[in-house]
Amino acid sequence: MSRPVADQPLHRSWLGARLKPLALLLPAAARRRVAIGLATAAAVAFPLLVSDEGDIDAAANACAFAVLALGLNIVVGFAGLLDLGYAAFFAIGAYVYGMAASWQLTPPWSEAWQPLAWLGLVSRFHVEGVPDVVHFHVSFWLMLPVSALIAAGFGMLFGVPTLRLKGDYLAIVTLGFGEIVPIVARNTPSLTNGAMGLNGVIPPSLFGYSFGVESTPYYYLGLALVALLIFVSLRLQDSRIGRAWMAIREDEVAAGAMGINRTRLKLLAFGSGAAFAGATGTFYVAKLQTATPEMFMFPVSVMVLVMVVLGGMGSVWGVVLGAAILQLLQSWFLQDLSEWAHALGRLVGSAWLQDVQLAQSIELIFGVILVIMMLYRRQGLIPAGRRVRALDAREQAVAATRGGIGARLSLLDGEAGLPTGAPMLETRGLSRRYGGVRAVNGIDLTVPAHAIIGLIGPNGSGKTTFFNLVTGLDTPSGGQVLFLGADVTGLAPHLLVERGIARTFQNLRLFGNMTVLENVLVGVHARTRTGALGAVLRPPRVRAEEAEARDWALEVLAVFGNRLLPRLDHPAHSLSYANRRRLEIARALATRPRLLLLDEPTAGMNPAETLELADQIHSLREMGLTILLIEHKLDVVNDITDKVVVFDHGEKIAEGPAAVVRHNEDVIRAYLGRAAAAA
Amino acid sequence: MSFGDILLQQVINGLSLGAMYALLALGFTLVYGIIELINFAHFNVFMMGSFFAMWVLQLLGVEGQSTVLTGWPLAGALILALAGTMLGSGVLGVVIERLALRPMRNVRGTAAMITTIGVSYILFNIILLTIGADTQNFPNPMPVVRWHLGGAVLDLREVLLWSASLVLMALLHLFVRHSRMGKAMQATAQDQEAARMMGVDVDRIVLLAFFIGSALAGAAGLVFGLYYNFTSFLIGYTAGLRAFTAAVLGGIGSIGGAVLGGFAIGLIESIGGQLLAVRWTDVIIFSILIAILVFRPTGLLGRMAPQKS
Repeated sequence: MSRPVADQPLHRSWLGARLKPLALLLPAAARRRVAIGLATAAAVAFPLLVSDEGDIDAAANACAFAVLALGLNIVVGFAGLLDLGYAAFFAIGAYVYGMAASWQLTPPWSEAWQPLAWLGLVSRFHVEGVPDVVHFHVSFWLMLPVSALIAAGFGMLFGVPTLRLKGDYLAIVTLGFGEIVPIVARNTPSLTNGAMGLNGVIPPSLFGYSFGVESTPYYYLGLALVALLIFVSLRLQDSRIGRAWMAIREDEVAAGAMGINRTRLKLLAFGSGAAFAGATGTFYVAKLQTATPEMFMFPVSVMVLVMVVLGGMGSVWGVVLGAAILQLLQSWFLQDLSEWAHALGRLVGSAWLQDVQLAQSIELIFGVILVIMMLYRRQGLIPAGRRVRALDAREQAVAATRGGIGARLSLLDGEAGLPTGAPMLETRGLSRRYGGVRAVNGIDLTVPAHAIIGLIGPNGSGKTTFFNLVTGLDTPSGGQVLFLGADVTGLAPHLLVERGIARTFQNLRLFGNMTVLENVLVGVHARTRTGALGAVLRPPRVRAEEAEARDWALEVLAVFGNRLLPRLDHPAHSLSYANRRRLEIARALATRPRLLLLDEPTAGMNPAETLELADQIHSLREMGLTILLIEHKLDVVNDITDKVVVFDHGEKIAEGPAAVVRHNEDVIRAYLGRAAAAA
Repeated sequence: MSFGDILLQQVINGLSLGAMYALLALGFTLVYGIIELINFAHFNVFMMGSFFAMWVLQLLGVEGQSTVLTGWPLAGALILALAGTMLGSGVLGVVIERLALRPMRNVRGTAAMITTIGVSYILFNIILLTIGADTQNFPNPMPVVRWHLGGAVLDLREVLLWSASLVLMALLHLFVRHSRMGKAMQATAQDQEAARMMGVDVDRIVLLAFFIGSALAGAAGLVFGLYYNFTSFLIGYTAGLRAFTAAVLGGIGSIGGAVLGGFAIGLIESIGGQLLAVRWTDVIIFSILIAILVFRPTGLLGRMAPQKS
């Protein structure tokens, strides 16, 4: 199968081009602040301006769906995990509160309930002639976080076995889960009142004032939830966690090889998405005071997905806009349009037009939106990617500086933790078989500290497979890998990065839609600790860590002089080929490795660029790194390696200084065939 | 009825359902085998197929349950209905591929799958908005001919459905194994690049896979109508998901697997529903779907590596 190509660069927005003169009056940041301020003011004033209770109610529902869409955006947009059963977590949150604050469950009273009664969560209910029962009336405000936690728990539980599946399989599995949850709710009437639905769910109350059935308090509560979610999403997006999610979305294998614990981060995304859906479920059921299984079926999951797709996957403001548009469409526009159609029908005497119900056609519109957006505007109405000014002619013409040698790379420390005398890396009998093919067969290799070892051999001789075995991307069929004297055979890629092994890829695996700086910052992931909560709250420790990570990233990029530094904000896919190679090396360096594995670092570079890079690789050794490189350009190999190892048919056929090995008969035969060796 | 009779009856029912699921699962598997796309539009191509079948039968003058044909007229009506339906839904599949899915061929990730969800919604709503939400009385010209096997009953129409399905599956098998296009199809499924370099017109092969898959979905739509005597805009989703489960169970990408999976799901639905309760059938089937994808993504007969990165 062919490898799919990366998305094309984002189109310039049609609206943006026309509004440009007006918009230029204010700088971008101020413009944004004004827009956000106006939107907030309008949202807060809405119930005062609108008198119709139905409109406020629709707006409150819109808030609930905006929260859902923002939650799904974390899963689909940030982490790239397509969840087609998102409504299941919405359902779980709804039923958890519904059962904890209604007459659905009435177990017989016993003294064991007394402590809960003292806390005000339940009470003893007395009816003449029958034994006393327990009435659950747990506070809405307590249940809001509790149901978020319970939904997150379900999300994690479901995610552990399923999140390692590839994209489309994961979508199907989540769809299955999304089907199962409402069916179970329907089939267990003792808990959920089945298809009839939960009734009489207690509305929230605040300082003794019950929300009851009025819409305005729910609207403000929903608005607060939306604001919270926007805040959380924006903070997460621009953090260690958000960058790791996007890296997984862009290229899962590369993300692992750059030190990201994929399982944990996917679970975190799935769990957070589920938590927000759970809290929304609680809000929604409290507002409606009822819950039926039909409220949480597949169409709901699709509707939320449509909001995300319409607004722009990964775009926080876009998703809010998408949710708002769809709700407007559903609640107001289609109703009005139906009435106009009826009027037109009476005018032209068409019976079909007279009783067409356009509100029914909302799902048709969903379908059309999905298809149109996917075909013509995959990045959504408000794309997540920032537009970046291209370098002007003068900037592009600036003479390239070499960097490298002068750069400090203060934090690399090749010596720490290395037992005296032990090699940096050692493999013993390392093998990998695919069926009957021996891709790598019994390789013994020793890489001393501070060495530059070249790995050469014809195409298909097992060099890249050897790299994959050492970096944990592939599991050996036999043999051992020892790093710093410790057995690391079969460890997950991110653990190897933590220990100090980093690599680049022969066929370039950058995170194409992330910027140059973000790509390098992903490399710092394994050396930083900020968690999701830290990323949202940003205490001083997190700010300091982030600042330090940025300084380090800039320092690493300085290795390549002014090649990459002026392009910090450019998406990686827009770079030239040579700069992409450089960026991959910078990203690997950012992980603070002791051992760096470079897979054909100069492939596709012209002779001048090749020499420059060879110099830079050489200077990395001066800074304390140990380097193993696969290379086909023999002058590079001759110039910078201490020793060359030759692979053929998965076996090591020669080893020694480059000048000696090139005269070895086996090597000549491997490269040029039997006749050449005999000549 | 003894337990044995009930079981036999459920096996008969299960085989009929299974024939339908197998026909439908073949469409999923053909398309997935070639372009690795889970095609949600297939759900409602099947639903549209049942409507096409209904319209063809109505054109032939068969109305509701009252028109009963026998002998040659019956055979002719059924064959015409089958051919018309398969042609109609096959063309529908081709149109969908050409307009909505070909531009997405080289787009990374799940965008193409999301497009198929959109297409599925559009088809569904076309029927909902034009025909309406009412259940349609599906014309059934077959006479009631029954055989009693102990307490169980075998209907003539069931035998006809089984044989028609088996004939279609055998034809598909022969086509893929022995025809020139079929071989090109197999080659494309294995390695699109290599097939292209050997002169295979990959676009045509993909189109062909959509045509055949959708035509078989149309046949399944006819089977559905004749079996249940009704059709509605709603039938695509449940049957489609079950058939998809069948394709996954058999091993998605594998033609034999789709047939095996289809009959397995049919039997699980009928016997499981009997032993447990009908309302839990979907939970059983979706649990199988999840369990297979998690623990054995290659299914029973699959050849596809589950986690390409």
